[in-house]
Amino acid sequence: MSEGLLRTTLPDRAGAALRDTFLQQALTIATTKFIDLRRESFEGFPQGEALRDRARAIKEATLQHLDVHLERLADNVERLGGTVHWAATAEEAREIVLRLARDRGVRMAVKSKSMATEEIDLNEALEHAGVTPVETDLGEYIIQLAHEKPSHIIAPAIHKTKGQVAELFSRELGGRFEADPEVLTAVARRALRQKFLEADMGITGANFAVADTGTVVLVTNEGNGRMVTSLPRIHVALMGIEKVIPSMSDLVVFLDILARSATGQKLSSYTTLVRGPRRAGELEGPEEFHLILLDNGRARQIASTLREALYCLRCGACLNVCPVYRQIGGHAYGYTYPGPIGILLTAMLKGNESVRELAHASSLCGACKDVCPVRIDIPRMLVELREHLDREKIAPWSERVVFHAFRRLLLSPAAFRLSARAGRWLQRPFVRAGRLRGLPLLLGRWTRTRDLPPVAARTFRELWKELR
Amino acid sequence: MAGRAEFLERIRREVAKTPGLFGASTAPRPPRPAAAAEAIRRELAERWPQALDRFRQEFERVAGVFHRVPDLAAVPDTIAAIARERGARRLVTWDPAILGFDAGARLAADGCAVVTARAGQEDEASRLRHRADAAAAQLGVTGADLVLAETGTLILLSGAGRPRSTSLLPDVHVAVFGRDRLLESLEQVGVMLEDLHVDPDAAMSGAMINFITGPSRTADIELTLTRGVHGPKEVHAVFVEAP
Repeated sequence: MSEGLLRTTLPDRAGAALRDTFLQQALTIATTKFIDLRRESFEGFPQGEALRDRARAIKEATLQHLDVHLERLADNVERLGGTVHWAATAEEAREIVLRLARDRGVRMAVKSKSMATEEIDLNEALEHAGVTPVETDLGEYIIQLAHEKPSHIIAPAIHKTKGQVAELFSRELGGRFEADPEVLTAVARRALRQKFLEADMGITGANFAVADTGTVVLVTNEGNGRMVTSLPRIHVALMGIEKVIPSMSDLVVFLDILARSATGQKLSSYTTLVRGPRRAGELEGPEEFHLILLDNGRARQIASTLREALYCLRCGACLNVCPVYRQIGGHAYGYTYPGPIGILLTAMLKGNESVRELAHASSLCGACKDVCPVRIDIPRMLVELREHLDREKIAPWSERVVFHAFRRLLLSPAAFRLSARAGRWLQRPFVRAGRLRGLPLLLGRWTRTRDLPPVAARTFRELWKELR
Repeated sequence: MAGRAEFLERIRREVAKTPGLFGASTAPRPPRPAAAAEAIRRELAERWPQALDRFRQEFERVAGVFHRVPDLAAVPDTIAAIARERGARRLVTWDPAILGFDAGARLAADGCAVVTARAGQEDEASRLRHRADAAAAQLGVTGADLVLAETGTLILLSGAGRPRSTSLLPDVHVAVFGRDRLLESLEQVGVMLEDLHVDPDAAMSGAMINFITGPSRTADIELTLTRGVHGPKEVHAVFVEAP
């Protein structure tokens, strides 16, 4: 599913997810736990709300001068001896990494978790070019061995049981391993430690990049981000252009709320600040540092509908609270970024056409906006996206016809009155226990999984008339 | 492939046509970072005992092990005790000139092999040797350049004589620090980072800064918290009382 549109439909994928009992259980446990951890963390942190406002303002202020900050970042990285690459598209970004790998005879690259590299399908490209990419975040490693895709931004393997992981490790790594997370983690530690020491190239994303100092910041819990940036002789960091922030003073504002929003920790175990290649006198660290700045559809949103989605920190908090994500999980969305923010990011990166169905995979309840550390107004953008799909005639014609008819109805008082009366009469055979159920024909697709309140015996307008 | 100029020009165009902007500002920065950093140090010279208590509480909350010793001379014994308890036979340490103590003799007396990273060794042979030694070590000894109380975090700058892997590759990491390293809040860390970067070439010899908050951890398999997935399984902080 690398480029373009998917072959399956959202209802098919969602249906499959709903029938998967383990997935349902795992989703409930994981999302509930993340919600609790986040809430507890912010409860004991009264300054959190003001910090969220400040973080949002920093993102907005940075976007207003994005060109200046990027230029400054690039200048500083180069001053430190790093190389900056500019990738307008996913393809260009892949080409840059492949060229670096080819020119330097890289055979194996160790990676720390990066949504940006998922976004450009880097692993497939590397394999194709004869370079072995090794994911080293435990969740990503499991996913890679199983040839699957991540199902959650920060917990990529929540859809797998320990039994499945034990089976997978036993098969892929040779051995018989007990279905115990402790044992399995130790197995991965041993297998991956060797890879860290052997790899020629380390590939990371970036949680932030500080323009003022030329620093790339990685936030991890496992320590793989540190391994990847300390041991191989080449470090390549790939980041979306919206990850740049002006100064160290800005960085600490984000650090104060990022881990709390993601996992409820005050800080993740490791926050790693990388300033270019190793310096004179240092025994360790890469000889070469490359920073790839990726656009891939981001820049054209600066002045467009999805601007606010460029604030996103990729913490995953909006996934956990979303009533749709909690039911269908990450895979059903079909693209790299799942959940409410994922719909917007997919539209940004793959075009509006790609979210024809996904734009409706939200109840617009607003829970995502409430938990977002930078208060991204996801529901507003989803509505605007739906409007756009309709205007551009990307939405299916049946949907457009129904909604345009509905619009006519609402605009004409006489037609509206008439429709209430007609509805009252027509609905009779389908009202059971005070609810509308089992509607015929096309409408039946709606009532198959939902019921509706019937048209009232006396409408508000009728009551109002009497009261006057 | 798009060059830098073309890439930036496209962004400049988009930025220029942005509609309906509202006022927004970035975080306030200390106008004179050196003075601001000095002011924080002066305040902490008074308040360090409270900061230390808070550090201990938060550090233990993230599964850190806290030790307190009267002076630098007592540090080697503490490290030897940790090594004995964990069965560590091979150790790697930062340059004693940076740490302010040399645990080598004390540990050698216990039969441990100690590898010391000394500033000034950076030829390819030393590099390869050190890497093998660090990978084989079970315990790593470092200092801590800043210690953040409100999150229980040790902040380490890399550089000559202070390799990054000492706090990463061994199973057990021991960091030694004194009262002058303590800070209360991330905001204060921000000021210190601003100060460090005013003249980076003078202040920092290395290219990496690590914030370490407890041992390496993961919950990627069924959300079961497991320690020591890639980095250390244990982190010890040794506080030295004598100023």
